[in-house]
Amino acid sequence: MAAVTHALTHVFRRTGPAPGLVLAYADEVKLLRSPRHTPWRWVLVVGCALAYLWLPTYLGDPGLRVLSLCGIFALGTIGLNLLTGYTGQISLGHAFFVGAGAYTAAYFGGQRGWPMPVYLGLAVLVGFVVGGVIGPFALRLRGHYLVVVTLGLVFLGEHLWNNWDSVTGGGNGISLGSAPMTVGPLDFKEGIELGAEAYTFDQSFFWLVWALVAVGALLAKNLVRSRAGRAMQAIRDRDLSAEVIGVDLARYKVGAFAWSSAYAALAGALYGLLQQYVNPTEFGLFLAITYVAMVIIGGLGTIFGSVLGALFVWGGRSLIEQNSGRAIFDPLITTSSGEGGLFTIGEFNAVLFGVAIVLFLLFEPRGLAAFWLRVKTWFLTWPFSY
Amino acid sequence: MTAVAAAVAPVPAPMLAAVTGDDLLQTGFSGVAVGCKYALIALGFSIVFKATGVINFAQASLVLLGGYLTYQFTQTWELNFYLSVLLAMAAGALIGILVEALVLKRLVGEQPATVIMATIGVLFVLDNVTTAVWGPTNRNLGDPWGVRTRELLGVTVADRDVWSIGFAAVAVAGFFLFFRYSPLGLAMRAAAFDPEAAMAQGIPARRVSRVAWAIAGVVGALAGTTLAAGAGQLSPATGSLALVAFPAIILGGLDSPLGAVIGGVIIGVVQQYTALLAPEYFDWVGESFERVSPYLVMIVILLIRPYGLFGTREVRRV
Amino acid sequence: MTRQRWLRPLALLVAAGFVAAACGGGRDDEDDSSGDEGAGGEPAEAPGFDGETIRLGVVTPTSGRVAVIGEPLTNGNQAYWDYVNEEEGGVAGRYPVELVVEDSAYDPPTAVQKYNQIKGDVVMFNQLLGTPVVNALLEQLEADNIVAAPASLDSFWVREQNLLPIGAPYQIQAINGLDWYVTEGGGEGDAICTLRQDDPYGEAGQEGIDFALEQLDLGLTAEATFPVGNPDFTTQITQLQRAGCDMVWLVSTPTDTGSALGKAAELGYAPQWMGQSPTWIGAFVDSPLISYLEENFIWVSEGPEYGDDSVPGMAELLRIQETYAPDQEPDVYFNFGYLESRAVHQVLEVAVENGDLSREGIIEAMNSIDELTFDGLFGDYAWGAPEDRDPPRASSIFRVNPDRPIGLELVVAEHEAPYAADFEFTD
Repeated sequence: MAAVTHALTHVFRRTGPAPGLVLAYADEVKLLRSPRHTPWRWVLVVGCALAYLWLPTYLGDPGLRVLSLCGIFALGTIGLNLLTGYTGQISLGHAFFVGAGAYTAAYFGGQRGWPMPVYLGLAVLVGFVVGGVIGPFALRLRGHYLVVVTLGLVFLGEHLWNNWDSVTGGGNGISLGSAPMTVGPLDFKEGIELGAEAYTFDQSFFWLVWALVAVGALLAKNLVRSRAGRAMQAIRDRDLSAEVIGVDLARYKVGAFAWSSAYAALAGALYGLLQQYVNPTEFGLFLAITYVAMVIIGGLGTIFGSVLGALFVWGGRSLIEQNSGRAIFDPLITTSSGEGGLFTIGEFNAVLFGVAIVLFLLFEPRGLAAFWLRVKTWFLTWPFSY
Repeated sequence: MTAVAAAVAPVPAPMLAAVTGDDLLQTGFSGVAVGCKYALIALGFSIVFKATGVINFAQASLVLLGGYLTYQFTQTWELNFYLSVLLAMAAGALIGILVEALVLKRLVGEQPATVIMATIGVLFVLDNVTTAVWGPTNRNLGDPWGVRTRELLGVTVADRDVWSIGFAAVAVAGFFLFFRYSPLGLAMRAAAFDPEAAMAQGIPARRVSRVAWAIAGVVGALAGTTLAAGAGQLSPATGSLALVAFPAIILGGLDSPLGAVIGGVIIGVVQQYTALLAPEYFDWVGESFERVSPYLVMIVILLIRPYGLFGTREVRRV
Repeated sequence: MTRQRWLRPLALLVAAGFVAAACGGGRDDEDDSSGDEGAGGEPAEAPGFDGETIRLGVVTPTSGRVAVIGEPLTNGNQAYWDYVNEEEGGVAGRYPVELVVEDSAYDPPTAVQKYNQIKGDVVMFNQLLGTPVVNALLEQLEADNIVAAPASLDSFWVREQNLLPIGAPYQIQAINGLDWYVTEGGGEGDAICTLRQDDPYGEAGQEGIDFALEQLDLGLTAEATFPVGNPDFTTQITQLQRAGCDMVWLVSTPTDTGSALGKAAELGYAPQWMGQSPTWIGAFVDSPLISYLEENFIWVSEGPEYGDDSVPGMAELLRIQETYAPDQEPDVYFNFGYLESRAVHQVLEVAVENGDLSREGIIEAMNSIDELTFDGLFGDYAWGAPEDRDPPRASSIFRVNPDRPIGLELVVAEHEAPYAADFEFTD
């Protein structure tokens, strides 16, 4: 606890040499330096940890479910960001890998009843391998051509899920209801018990998902600040130059695909567990676009931004939906008895969502992570902020 | 879960009659007709890509809106159909310009990903405003082509398919003339080739982008009209075909209008022949394989020619 | 580089927090809702019932492509309850009903989310639209002990404890339609074929046709499939034409119906088309295809002709629609929504009579009903515990007539194939 108070007391203190001064590369890539150097990161880490522990006891189950879904999207988005944000390979095929993970969990967990750590691990493995097989296409294709080829994956996937009945249940979909969800003494399905307290499924699942998000984010962060990460970013910035200075394009492009889809597959498996039922239409173009939206809105090439993007896009949509029922919008919205205005509530929400995306991009084209940076700078340079 | 009728015994497999030469011809023609619809969609994507370097997802809603605009002029306001198509094209151009002025103009110079995302936002808005205004039910466009047909080289040809092909031909000819001879068209080619150098030469980047969006609105209206022709074919789902036309856009080469048309026709023909032949000769690929086969063809072609059939090869320097 | 050092305080923090959380929060007891059961007296307060108003959930697409079904269905739900509230004073004359409508956008995760948001505020669900949505919610409904009315004619709902389906499933439509055609419709000895969607809805129709062919000792001549939103039907039509099909059973939705039959008309192919209930839409009446449809199309559904006010149930529906949903165009989905509310109404009446509007009370009330009736608009549904439920087995045959309200004229009411009752709905 001492470290925490230490961190907090240093947040707004600004004595000594310039706090932002970085003297060595090792310092530059450190996740957390002493609170004096990176006070904001400390605030963030502590704040997130507190929120993680406190939210499930404060929010009701429906709200937690929204956040669990956000967490699942965040995992997938981190994966896509490794590929798109860090390696510069835009992919619309993410929904395919998400589907692969979901069906892996449905088959090994739901149908065969294997334990949760095993089928989650298998989902990651399947994602990794499938991504590794698709990766080589990126060696030949670039930019928008790659985008559309990866989009083809989504259609191939839908075809596969629809026709491989013995594993996927075909067009009817498949239940994960009988998939075991225990890890050691913790049963996430019935709700975990800690000491004398028993928690609901949604509380337990929130903790599970966001713990995995934290681990996933940490791993990704470690990856991108390692040698591999620098190679990936070199490829993003100019692949030809990267090749000239000795970066092995094949290895890192394919590797980025494999890791990215491993994340996607884990997200898919968790999605299946949360929904308890999956069918082919869920892993289509709409999901693929949603993931791209999360990466871009969060900010390309930031892990933290990926999480923010998922929260903003999915959580924001939920927020809009909860608040669009307010009386001031009534003249615009038609009710089921035919009164009122032009839009149904669903259409109105979608329009608001679209407007929110556009306005946000006009205001901050580089995503939420850039916005965060702006806020930070404003405070750091205060009172000379502009 | 499938839960149905243990009592149902397998019915003897249906007998299949062999595919005849006439079928091949008829199917080939239908492939060309479908391909021309794809081509009209692809042209809209291609023009914005050429001018701004981004894939414009909102094109799907320009197609949808275009169909409804024609409907509005000809059915609600009872104007002559062809006049209505022209008016819809004009209105489509205005909407394109409006979107450009409100959104895209302000994003000039941002990363392509940001601009692509903004077009997705526009897609959400336009699609839902369109369905809110005209309602969700299927409607008749009110085209004069009905189910009339004519015989051509032993093939029965539907009038509305002939018109689709005609529209695509006119559009691609227009594109060709525009880019070849008009100063603005030349400016756009220059801007697409190297935006910075073009601006240094005094080419008005903003006007280029605005005109590209106007043209996207025009071909969107044409595409929407051809897709919505027929009995009860105009519905909120009309625009979704636009997102299925992606292989056509890519196959010909993103920045080539001629490529868009040829790509569209190839995809249409591949799709139709798959639908014809797969159930009889290779049914192990599963039902509705025609939804996948265009992508397979596209992937194979792209692996051989990474910039499509007619796309400009990117010059890459270290 | 000592990267791990920061982990220590974080671990401490996490541990401390868990302890705090363990002391603070806990699982809500969900079972405090059943209340005291005053059989026959005032129903106690329960989730979705505050002692005065009964609230019912609706999770349906009001945006996107399937809003074309979701909107009229919900209008039908609403119009019926407006009528009950206005003219009867509510359920049992006392408790007005209010709908809580949420947009699912036909997207399962969105639907599940919306379901969870409102499940605590509703007595039961008046409408869940979409097979994938209902599938995704089935286990939750069981866990929550909530009853929902699924808005589709799928057969797999029949034996579900927590579902309240109405109407004869698609298989029954196909069985009766084919039986009528072969026995009375002049189709004896004809080559029978199908043209169907490549999904579970298409397979349901195919199952019915296969069953009836088996019973009639006939074979299937050809089976053509297509993906939803198929851009061109030339290959499917030539396939049917080549096989010499005289009658084609169509399983599609309106856009594909228009596209497929339009192409058939253009290619000069005119078999007898017979379509399931979702194939039709009123807009065909004003389309250039109408004369082809008049000659070649037969629609198979349930109940009387739309607008035939000699049937008391229909007269009442028309009056209620005119009074409470005057802007609503004639639409079969409006009727379906109206009937859904009727079924829910019957359950609620019993539950109020039992004095128990809790979730258990609803299930108990539902299981104690012998038969759900629909005033002749749909066939009566034998009800009771899940294993006793039996959907209606009769279907009505319509031909196209542009002078009728939605372009359909009754040919034969309530045709029931002698073997329709043998079709089993298993678990």
